[in-house]
Amino acid sequence: MCDTCGCQLHDHHHHDAKVVEVNRSLLEANQRQADSNRHHVEQMGAVAINLISSPGSGKTTLLERTIEALKDTVKIGVIEGDIETERDADRIRAKGIPAVQLTTGGACHLDAPMVHGGLHVLEHFAKGGGYDLIFIENVGNLVCPATFDLGEHRRVVLLSTPEGSDKPAKYPATFKSADLVLITKTDLLPYFDFSVEEATREARLLKPDLDILTLSATTGDGFDRWIEYIQELIKHES
Amino acid sequence: MHELSLAQSLIGQILALAGEHKARRVNRVVVTLGPFSGVVRDSFEFGFNILKQEQEAVREAVLELETPDPEYVCLECAKRAVIPFPRQSDRLELACCGLAAKKCPWCGSTRLSPKGGTELILNQLEME
Repeated sequence: MCDTCGCQLHDHHHHDAKVVEVNRSLLEANQRQADSNRHHVEQMGAVAINLISSPGSGKTTLLERTIEALKDTVKIGVIEGDIETERDADRIRAKGIPAVQLTTGGACHLDAPMVHGGLHVLEHFAKGGGYDLIFIENVGNLVCPATFDLGEHRRVVLLSTPEGSDKPAKYPATFKSADLVLITKTDLLPYFDFSVEEATREARLLKPDLDILTLSATTGDGFDRWIEYIQELIKHES
Repeated sequence: MHELSLAQSLIGQILALAGEHKARRVNRVVVTLGPFSGVVRDSFEFGFNILKQEQEAVREAVLELETPDPEYVCLECAKRAVIPFPRQSDRLELACCGLAAKKCPWCGSTRLSPKGGTELILNQLEME
């Protein structure tokens, strides 16, 4: 028997070991960088929006239409996250807006240190001119990005009608972390079995005060309210 | 798949703490994964056990994962309820009988909103 603690098992612990209470978040390093990113964005005179959705929900198309609507009155910068290619950044640049492409090379989400690098490049592009609004388009994924604060002021989750209205129930962590849910591609509602009511009900179950808007970037239906949401955000946060 | 990056940041934290406490090796690591953290327990454990092989100080470390029971607020009666996730052994039966829907133990409503539970915490280290 062990003289120190009276137990009969000798291989399960070591008496010269010490136990240290840590009680720290695993995300501590990311959180520190995210808070610093938020401050950085504010120093640039801007607010940041983190766009999250599954691949193909229309994040980049939403950005293109949003840029068209706002670029004469709002200075916009974009950080694009993808596993591979510069394609999304090229689509944004084609609209005359500075875009930084972060390619994760396989990683399924952006994290705050990657965005930190992106912010410095955007700052360089602005040549001291600053920004009003910075979009961070996350890697298309409805699971992993939810865990990582990037330093955004608002987190917007897109749900496109072809994906199905059960997505909030199936991907609760992401929808619970959203500030705004955009139900996109509403022009396709007649062709898909998507219930706006079900999606809204499921999402508000996760977060009762969640803001939800519906829009179509193709027809422009509902787009005004999204633009107003951004304008209000810029007015209040800066 | 983000479990691997979380496991990596955990190992980074452990190594830093081992350094601070001048420990040679870490025997045990206790981590809390919130029930709504979106982290898959098995993947996280798998990632940790792969990555720990790279570092002498944590090679023998045993990871203990704790997940508190999930807590909900009923949107009908506003009361709180702690409802454990069904055990693995009960899941198949529940799924077959369509009994998986959670209900408020106070009023029977299914409008239960998850409360908190997104934490990912390194609680305790045993090292020598």
